[in-house]
Amino acid sequence: MRRILLLMLSVLFVPTAWADAPEGYTFHDFDKAMDQAREQNKTLFVYFGRYGCGYCEKTNKEAFSDNTIRQIYTDNYVLAYVDSESGKRLQLPSGERITEHEVGTRYNAFVTPVFTFMTPQGKPLKRLVGVQRIEDLLNAHEEVQAQTGNPS
Amino acid sequence: MISRQTSFALLLAGYGLVSAAVAQPWEFEQPLAVTEVQGEGIFHHLESSGRRNIAVAGDRVAISWEDNRHETPAIFLAHKSRQSDAFSQAVRISGEDEAYEPSLAALGEERFAIAWEQASRMHLRLSDGKQLGPVLKLDTRQAGQASLTARDNKLLLVYAAGDPKSRHRRIYLQQFETDGLTLHAGAPCKVDPEPLKQAQLYPSVTRLPERTLVAWEDRRHGHTVIMAAENRQPGSCRFDKPQRISEPLPGPRPPYGEGHGVTRVAMDSYDRDRVLAAWADKRDFREGYDIYASHYPAENDALFGPNQKVQDPFGGIAQQWHPSVAGGPSGELVVAWDDGRDDQTNVLLSWYTDGQWSDDLSVPGASGSAIQNHPSVTLDNQGHLHLAWVERDFVGGPTRLRYLFGKTTSADPE
Repeated sequence: MRRILLLMLSVLFVPTAWADAPEGYTFHDFDKAMDQAREQNKTLFVYFGRYGCGYCEKTNKEAFSDNTIRQIYTDNYVLAYVDSESGKRLQLPSGERITEHEVGTRYNAFVTPVFTFMTPQGKPLKRLVGVQRIEDLLNAHEEVQAQTGNPS
Repeated sequence: MISRQTSFALLLAGYGLVSAAVAQPWEFEQPLAVTEVQGEGIFHHLESSGRRNIAVAGDRVAISWEDNRHETPAIFLAHKSRQSDAFSQAVRISGEDEAYEPSLAALGEERFAIAWEQASRMHLRLSDGKQLGPVLKLDTRQAGQASLTARDNKLLLVYAAGDPKSRHRRIYLQQFETDGLTLHAGAPCKVDPEPLKQAQLYPSVTRLPERTLVAWEDRRHGHTVIMAAENRQPGSCRFDKPQRISEPLPGPRPPYGEGHGVTRVAMDSYDRDRVLAAWADKRDFREGYDIYASHYPAENDALFGPNQKVQDPFGGIAQQWHPSVAGGPSGELVVAWDDGRDDQTNVLLSWYTDGQWSDDLSVPGASGSAIQNHPSVTLDNQGHLHLAWVERDFVGGPTRLRYLFGKTTSADPE
């Protein structure tokens, strides 16, 4: 009962203002996305952004708004969004509890955006750093699919 | 001391030559384990807001951290006398619920104060090294990110807590009186009483003889900036209007976004009535976060002076995170952070002298093949340096908690 009350209280407040993932996609918290990727044996696509990130906004408007990109990334990946400045807490499969900020440092999200394709276990397969165009996301998808044995 | 400008000119002369020329203010002893409880599945964290996880009271140094040895994250405290080469057994400070981000402060010569987040409330208690006082749980809801400081036996806590009107978090300051190991809470003060447009997060507090300074991450400008406010009437809730510390980028506003990122400000006083605030700053987006700092008071009407880059030019394309600040009463001032240069993650230091930041020092014992990060640093009254940090052999692996003593090399204070 106490935990339920705490959960109810937690939704009354916005603990902090998370940066925005692109509209029209289902981005999950990193830990939930890892769980889902393992269950479905799918590749993770992790978007490291931050509150007020200009190049994230540019990539959202110019690349993630594309319907083909939306279809491909929604169908083929489990999507995670990490605000690399936020104190939101996550629990990793190892049992370690860390903040999104620490997930960002661990995966070297030294600029934003950084997009990292990962195995369901969290091992990086490919990184895209900075602003991405539609063709960048398409090329990266094909490269990762070839790498994981699922050429499209 | 080699100035920043001189060291940059010597860049091509080689890092070894430059490093060899720097006179170190501390002689470092061998690192010590803070706790022997470590191994598979155990993760220690030094993550307090303002990075205050180590403190010295009289002859005793104490470290407070969070780990999951009992599965649920809990807060622990260990201490030792300066002469001892082993820490006491860790004492659990927190209760049954998940607990995070302890902040530690020395209270006079004999006591330590610990504040932490547990079940979204602030909790505090005192220790004299032999006994623990009762836990004081504060009423403020959705509270976390505690940062403590103490001066003249007065304890000050800042934290971020839910603001019912805006549904964002705002920064509160609360003062405490002590009676032995018992704490008595004053009323919480809003550091910035204006209505919130966006969140205020991760505060740090410093008490000077006549005033109190609070700095925090603030999202009101559409991106995170560092703000600070000053209270010139200790004991009251009256803070002057907050001012921005982290400077905006020069030039026209970018077509996308609102500005560059900054994160996790740490602050400490030095030289009796001066203060340094340091944070990670991504103004040069190609380099990632760098360590920047600003001194109080400024020479004009501003609270803090111009921003300074703390790290040396060799840190250029590497990443810097987790700055921790320590000042001493005789003007000593040092910043510690973790740094990814040379494809290693080490703890580095830079100290401030004659108006310059020194070349960076990879701390002996806190650098090498293992991943060494999340430093928390303090200086005792004699200028000796005390450093705690987290060590692990591989990314995501189990952790070890380490401590290092640096004996001052200035005129022997003893």
